[in-house]
Amino acid sequence: MAFEGVCHLLANLVEYCNSSETSYDFAEDEAFNSEIEMSNFMDANIHVRDAIFDKYSKGYAPESHMGEGSSSLVHASTSLHDFDEGIFKAEDNPDCLRSRWQLEAYLNQQADILEKDPSLVPLNSFNATMSQLQALAPELHRVQFLQYLNALTHDDYIAALDNLHRYFDYSAGMQGIFSRSSSSFQDIIVGKYESALLCLGNLHCYFGHPKKALEAFTEAVRVSQMNNDDSCLAYILGAISNLLSKIGMSSTIGTIGSPYSLGNNIGLGTPLSIQQQLLVLLKRSLKRADTLKLTSLVSFDHLSLAKFDLKHVQRPLVSFGPNAYTKLRTCPADVCKNLRLSSHVLTDFGVDGLSASSDNGSFSTSWLRNLSAASNSWCSSSTKSRKVLTNDFDNFHFHAQPSPIPAAVLQLAGSAYLLRATAWEHYGSAPMVRMNSLVYATCFADAASSSELSLAYVKLIQHLAAFKGYSAAFSALKLAEEKFPSTANSHIQLLKMQLLHERALHRGQLKIAQQICDEFGVLSSSVSGVDIELKTEASLRHARTLLAAKQFSQAANVANSLFSTCYKYNMQVENANVLLLLAEIHKNSDNAVLGLPYALASQSFCKSFNLDLLEASATLTLAELWLALGSTHAKRALSLACQSLPMILGHGGMELRARAHIVLAKCHLSDPKFKVTEDPCSVLDPLNQAVEDLQVLEYHEMAAEAYYLKALVYNNLGKLDEREEAAASFREHTIALENPYNEADSLSY
Amino acid sequence: MPSWVQPMTQKFKPFLTLRICLLVLFYFNSLCMLQNGKMLRRIKSHDVAIVCLNWAEDEPQSKTDKDGLLSYEDRTTRFFPPAPVVPRIGGLSSGDTCLGDENEESIQEFSSASCQRFNILCSGDKDGCICFSIFGIFPVGKININEVPIHVQSSGSKASYRLQDASISKVSLSGNLHKLVLLCSGKLIDIDNISHSNDISGGLHCLHLDTSIFFNRKNELHQVSQQASSIQYLVEVVRASISMMAKQWSGAMNLFNEKFSVLPSLITAHGMESSSEDEFMSLLFGTRTSPALHQFLVSSLGEAALKRIAKSVDSAGRELRVVVSEHLQPAVEIISFRLAELRGLARWRSRFQNIGLDEKLIDGVTERIGMLVVQVERFSRVTATVLYLFQNFFSWVLKCVKILLSEPTDQVPAANSEFVVLFLKFLLDKDPIKQLLDADQRFECHLDTAKHLEQLVVLGGFTDTHFLERSLMKQFNELEESLKEAFSMPFTTISSQIHCQALLPLYPITSLVDLSSTCNLTSVSFYKQDEDSQHSGPSYRLTDYICFKIPDGSLNLRNCIGVIKDFSNSSTSTPSLSGFLLRIPDEYECVDLSLYKDSQIVVLLSERSCSDNPGRSYIVMLQTENFSFVPLSKIFPSNIYSIQELAALELQLDTDYGKVRSVPHAVSTPLAVSASRGVACVFSSRRHALVYILDEDEDEDEDEVSDME
Repeated sequence: MAFEGVCHLLANLVEYCNSSETSYDFAEDEAFNSEIEMSNFMDANIHVRDAIFDKYSKGYAPESHMGEGSSSLVHASTSLHDFDEGIFKAEDNPDCLRSRWQLEAYLNQQADILEKDPSLVPLNSFNATMSQLQALAPELHRVQFLQYLNALTHDDYIAALDNLHRYFDYSAGMQGIFSRSSSSFQDIIVGKYESALLCLGNLHCYFGHPKKALEAFTEAVRVSQMNNDDSCLAYILGAISNLLSKIGMSSTIGTIGSPYSLGNNIGLGTPLSIQQQLLVLLKRSLKRADTLKLTSLVSFDHLSLAKFDLKHVQRPLVSFGPNAYTKLRTCPADVCKNLRLSSHVLTDFGVDGLSASSDNGSFSTSWLRNLSAASNSWCSSSTKSRKVLTNDFDNFHFHAQPSPIPAAVLQLAGSAYLLRATAWEHYGSAPMVRMNSLVYATCFADAASSSELSLAYVKLIQHLAAFKGYSAAFSALKLAEEKFPSTANSHIQLLKMQLLHERALHRGQLKIAQQICDEFGVLSSSVSGVDIELKTEASLRHARTLLAAKQFSQAANVANSLFSTCYKYNMQVENANVLLLLAEIHKNSDNAVLGLPYALASQSFCKSFNLDLLEASATLTLAELWLALGSTHAKRALSLACQSLPMILGHGGMELRARAHIVLAKCHLSDPKFKVTEDPCSVLDPLNQAVEDLQVLEYHEMAAEAYYLKALVYNNLGKLDEREEAAASFREHTIALENPYNEADSLSY
Repeated sequence: MPSWVQPMTQKFKPFLTLRICLLVLFYFNSLCMLQNGKMLRRIKSHDVAIVCLNWAEDEPQSKTDKDGLLSYEDRTTRFFPPAPVVPRIGGLSSGDTCLGDENEESIQEFSSASCQRFNILCSGDKDGCICFSIFGIFPVGKININEVPIHVQSSGSKASYRLQDASISKVSLSGNLHKLVLLCSGKLIDIDNISHSNDISGGLHCLHLDTSIFFNRKNELHQVSQQASSIQYLVEVVRASISMMAKQWSGAMNLFNEKFSVLPSLITAHGMESSSEDEFMSLLFGTRTSPALHQFLVSSLGEAALKRIAKSVDSAGRELRVVVSEHLQPAVEIISFRLAELRGLARWRSRFQNIGLDEKLIDGVTERIGMLVVQVERFSRVTATVLYLFQNFFSWVLKCVKILLSEPTDQVPAANSEFVVLFLKFLLDKDPIKQLLDADQRFECHLDTAKHLEQLVVLGGFTDTHFLERSLMKQFNELEESLKEAFSMPFTTISSQIHCQALLPLYPITSLVDLSSTCNLTSVSFYKQDEDSQHSGPSYRLTDYICFKIPDGSLNLRNCIGVIKDFSNSSTSTPSLSGFLLRIPDEYECVDLSLYKDSQIVVLLSERSCSDNPGRSYIVMLQTENFSFVPLSKIFPSNIYSIQELAALELQLDTDYGKVRSVPHAVSTPLAVSASRGVACVFSSRRHALVYILDEDEDEDEDEVSDME
């Protein structure tokens, strides 16, 4: 919604108030004074949480290679450029004075926009407006908070820090942050310093200064313990665990003031590992939030726990006796339970009555918009019943009706679906990935921030690419780019590069693949902040490209160094991937014996992390390796391939399916006991299916292989015509592979 | 001793299955499974009375080489906590399912226990239909024996026959699921020349059906039926949840409407033309309190009643929340996962297409479940909003009432006036929750929402972009329909792959009355034949044994029992059809007979007594190896009633043929034996059920006497 429109409606409100025969003032006078404080600190509360969730939402998805620092290209959208004009036109006009209430509603709206899509808010002009507002109304400290948020989302460290300091300095003693606890009135008095520290910590966390952030948080813990500010403490614990889960730190010793300061309640003399600390903190934050009925924080903690369970094996901190049996596997049922619990934030909304908010004008803008639309049916024909059944509450549309459910709650509830989609990516259930992302994109498009929504789109497009081929994926990508026009939207940008890289590899356009790899390298360079996941992906793709170029030793070097990085930062799930890649490298360099231990290691990693699909593809690689050792192992290879079939054929993408089919045919063909003439179907069926999939993917190398095998089979069967046909196709694909045509157009789509 | 003999009426027939502690009863045309006295499932698969049952469990040795390579896994238990159960109000089962209260745990247990080994329940009915259900709960096939063409090789030329008015009397599926032998009475007619009346027309016939599809696709059927039966159970959970929510909410809303509907009449009584919405609005914005509203709030509604309504809406809301978050959402989530697994299986066309798992149909169901998830999400959001608005409205009205009564209002929580406006505008005379739970409602979709949905289609979204116009209930009904369609595919596909292999007429039944009645005393069973050593190892042979009492007068025989074996062996190398005939001494009457383990026959005899006093009965166990089997012809017309060519052997009870156990009561049919448990169950004419342990020699092992009432 353009700001012009908002102003227009604000003006309409005044007119409406004046003209309506019943004096339709929204309790302006009597409510005004009493509500200021309440609304102020309610709002600050929302902002802080927003900030946390914003961080969080960027951190949890393993595929989200958000280079937070890298999105420095702010593409100033012009949708709000007429913003200054609007507000000052209104203020120049003496008839149209804004009430404080309206101003706050305006600030709320701006905060929402900032949170949803920061690129919609131009940094400088917004700042200018804010400073003007501040000059006019110096007692409105939230303007500074908004400026802080603005600077934060535009990666302006100095300004953000400055504004944050100013906000907490100027609003001295007036505002607390946390309003949910029953003893909220005390919070107003004592809740200031620790809240400031919490915000500071978040700021550092956002800019990628984990040490400074931890310092701030530790101080905040100390102060809030001193002041008995339980709610703040709960939030701080949540923030610390968010920090710990996000950053790749090998140890916290030395960064937190004392190594025991957080984990001392366990009564263990040894310092805990970072994962253990994270778990302890999360559980403690959850417990506190639960007793204080901070439902949003409870939900957030459940989400973090789910994220933790997804990637970590939970071991008991202390196991008693020699017989204490520990099963070293992740527990997906716990992930599911936590996700279900976290979506209670929506179903249980308002159940405790504590979250009942009183009038704060937060809806006056969206409210008015609908008022004008509904005024016909409402004012003139309130007595007559409506004939058409409109569903007033369920449009999944933010502008439909003002909803008492704040966007932050909806975002939390939606995050559960997004995390579900990520979890199923790991566990291997393609329809579930699609369904959960789709549910998110359908139900939460109104409340979601653009980065979260684009993540859901990315997942949908990835699914399309894997199951429907590149053309479908690229046309969907085009739509996504229109929807998220800002180039700063790194999810979409990364996706585009991923798709292009994969297509180039399939088509055998190695130069292009290398070019994209270099771009990845630039994105992940430490100049614009370190994103460990992006770095991992960049090296992974680099190794793949080298592998495709048959530079095996270099590829192995890259993969090895990547493995040691992942090992250092305890990224077990990525380890499984890297190990599999190493096995592939050795397989392709005709070093099957060397590849076997890697494939086995990858398989066992997958088993303990329940990565079913990856496990199946590791098993398939294992089968290929055995097959490469000679035809005496064909039976073993066949049994391995068959083991992986239900999973791969069910949930694997086209490439994986085609590979499995080819391996299956190869196993049969190299088995000396197998006679093609007796059972041609068991070879030809898989080959035909593989060819079908590969043609869609334009995967020349494998398609050539499949046709070659087909020609062999037909030759054995004595069907010469079919043999010639297969051989011709084989030739076609080999030529296409050797002379990649149209290099120019393959960066476009 | 388990209490598996239930109080029962005569309409029930007992059946001892091989499954420990599981008793299956058939009550007219539905099957009831009982375990430890609790009803597990009741399945209606037949239209007429069920006559016989056979439960064949897959034997682990009967694996083929290829099966060993494929590994399927039900991942649900790994990824999800235990599945939700049907919601209850105050300990009462709310759904109209026949699942009892306390057996939800056992149904879970039952379905998970049944997943360990593949098994198929065959049931035959009076009209000649045979149903196959995997685990006894998931129907995979149904054939009508009257419509199965029977091709016989009659001395070189082929002839086709068909049965008419057939009624099944026994079915038996072999342990390796390869073949089914069934006994049925009916008229045999020649399809090619119907006019040609045959002298063999009416009688008891023995048929061999080829069910190798069960054997060949055992693993696949196991997977499909395991997923499908769990889905069907969860669909019941969803249905019960929705109906319970509708009930709870309408209860609360009735109270609310009843109280608040007084206001419009009060307004008209005061001679005003405004609506209640207007009145509340003017109260909200502080202009005036009309006398009508004043009267309504202070006298006709009152503080106590208001609090009561608020409480009832609140508690209904609480129930709704619990049902949504603990039953509806988890159930829908697990259904969607299981459907995703099925869809994965369906993509493997080469193995799953010929058992009827259709990729397109499963795809359609997957779409529908996705839409249902969206609908559930919408429902929970609408519910949260509506409940919040109600809460807000009630606290505002309470405050107003207090002000009107000049009472202190500091105890009442503050209300948000904007939400009061929202409530008045959208909820005072409408009920969105009820609309969503109503199958017939259609909604108008917001234009932006429709556009958004259309955009998502490009990204692989739901192709049906109008699904948000449906209500939750309607979406659920559609899911159910498409599920039914998808699951009926395996049913029809498998049914069409069961063929008749061989026919053997056993004895003629002359009178039409006898033909329709089901009093044929017969028994069919398969035994492992381990004496032929060349077939040792995993590929052992299963031999069928058929024993039957020939009705007096038929084939000019009286009081005779016929036993034949190797009927279903089609290969030439193995021993072919052979049998013997046994005459029972005249002073005894054969009440019932049954095949027991290790090729033994259990015959239930009762003394023929001239007077009314009940005579003794005997359970006789005969070792068939003690009798000599005489080869019989297998080729069609010469095999008709070939049993009559055999010379009848005399049965002497005192000789060494087998064990004899005497029962001090007169007994009646049926006799039930269980080979795995080694027990026999007989019914005395005093309506007692008696259970005997057959393998022990003592006479005092009569374990349980339970009254049938």
